[in-house]
Amino acid sequence: MKKYIQKILLVSIIISLPAVSFGQYCNYFHSKYCEPSENKMFKLNGQSKSALFSKGQTSELNVIVYKGQDYRVSLCLDENLGTQLTFKVYETKKVKVEKVIETKTMEDEYKKCSGCNGTGMDGNETCYECNGDMQVLTGNQVEVVSKETRVVTENQKQLLYDNSQDGFSNEIEFSVETTRRLILEVSIPGGGGGGGSSKGKMMKSSDMGCVGILVEHMTTPISGFKGTGF
Amino acid sequence: MKKQIKLVAVLLMVTPLTFLTSCGGDEPIQEPVEEVVEEVVEEVNETYYQIPSPDEMFGFIKESGLKYNGELLNPIQNVSNYTDPKMQALNFGIYSADLAYTAAFEEFNETAKYFGTIQKLAEPIGISSAFDKSLIERAQKNLTNADSLVAITNTSYFAVVDYLDQNEQGDKLGIIAAAGWLETVYVIANSTKYAKDKAAVDRLADQKLTLDNLLAYLEKHNTTDDVKEVLSWFKELEAVFASIGNTDSNEGSAISFKKKENGKMVLGGGKPSKSITEAEFKAIKNKVNEIRNKIVKTEV
Repeated sequence: MKKYIQKILLVSIIISLPAVSFGQYCNYFHSKYCEPSENKMFKLNGQSKSALFSKGQTSELNVIVYKGQDYRVSLCLDENLGTQLTFKVYETKKVKVEKVIETKTMEDEYKKCSGCNGTGMDGNETCYECNGDMQVLTGNQVEVVSKETRVVTENQKQLLYDNSQDGFSNEIEFSVETTRRLILEVSIPGGGGGGGSSKGKMMKSSDMGCVGILVEHMTTPISGFKGTGF
Repeated sequence: MKKQIKLVAVLLMVTPLTFLTSCGGDEPIQEPVEEVVEEVVEEVNETYYQIPSPDEMFGFIKESGLKYNGELLNPIQNVSNYTDPKMQALNFGIYSADLAYTAAFEEFNETAKYFGTIQKLAEPIGISSAFDKSLIERAQKNLTNADSLVAITNTSYFAVVDYLDQNEQGDKLGIIAAAGWLETVYVIANSTKYAKDKAAVDRLADQKLTLDNLLAYLEKHNTTDDVKEVLSWFKELEAVFASIGNTDSNEGSAISFKKKENGKMVLGGGKPSKSITEAEFKAIKNKVNEIRNKIVKTEV
């Protein structure tokens, strides 16, 4: 009996191996499948990333690019996700903005106590220190909107690059003059989701696959005669 | 990531059936082929926050002319004193950055020692499988080849990051990455002379942006008391960095990609980063040193 169980276990493990390895399929996808630069000066940057995507999905990668460095970002994707993806680069920055915060509360409604003159009663209701205005409870509640101006910090995005304006190019290379925090946004077309949330949506396994974002960097080469002795 | 687990689970259930179906007998089965369909419970947009690895920073400081200072490293003898899982993860980050520092400056003997130390520390943290045999062999063979050694130390760092990421241990990865980043900032701050090393001072000020990414990552994985504690330390550092005003204003940013005459794209324009004052530099350095001391301290 024990041998029989062991055999079943062994067969189950062997059978399930391809499935387990599929789960780890996206490991190093960017290193394996994204075309590195032919320029050997470029080095693999630790901000590279691979992830499992489905058609219609959009994801963002927040990276830091430093002044005085050249960067190359290239993308690659599984065949079953198609051949084209949308790739946008945004700058993201924290900005302090003034915001008017509206708060709504329910409060007791008052009416004019024209019958009152100072203290005493107005019919069955108490008349407080009355100067003739809004002193007597009506028994109803009203919605009161109060506005307050606060300074809040929020992240703002500014579009810098859209590969749909660049022939759906899968790579971009640039020099950086000022250190920035960028968002690399990748969208896989299809899936009918339009890139938004699709909670509870039925997905086919053929609609899923890996996407790799390979980031490479090098020190910006000095051009001209600087440092040559001339 | 939940999707991945779900997909694997479905495939685990479906694969044996497919296997048995395809090998079910002599007669071919004429059933129509159906695609595996599984329900994705949560398919929302993901946001990832990346932290530059230590080698990128150390490559820069070497190029900017800062000298190697071995006294800044956390001594490897301390490793046996870190018995608490949080301290082990934090010091794994510290030692990983120290490893990258020694490799960048071609301190081969030190690199070998620090590689051995992080390997040793990887075991109690549960990430020793990130160091496969071939990686260790490659490291041993290339102990005197600077380029290979930097590449190997990077590979080991990326392997750990990838392993923790794929195994949904974002909390542990956050702690390791936070400590690794802190050690690079510690080394830069303590190797830099404010009046002399302008490029390094500017790079230190730029860490405000990296800290934003780090805090966002820790917030995303703020599920354990350990992460909460580490997050509170780094929020104190954020408050110190907040005095630098280069990104807190929405005036005149307008950066853009522009093509230069040689066809090269340049990300530039906008408001240049504001240089930090000596007082700001000292305040950052003091806070970094304070947090770093909490991490590397050993109980007597």
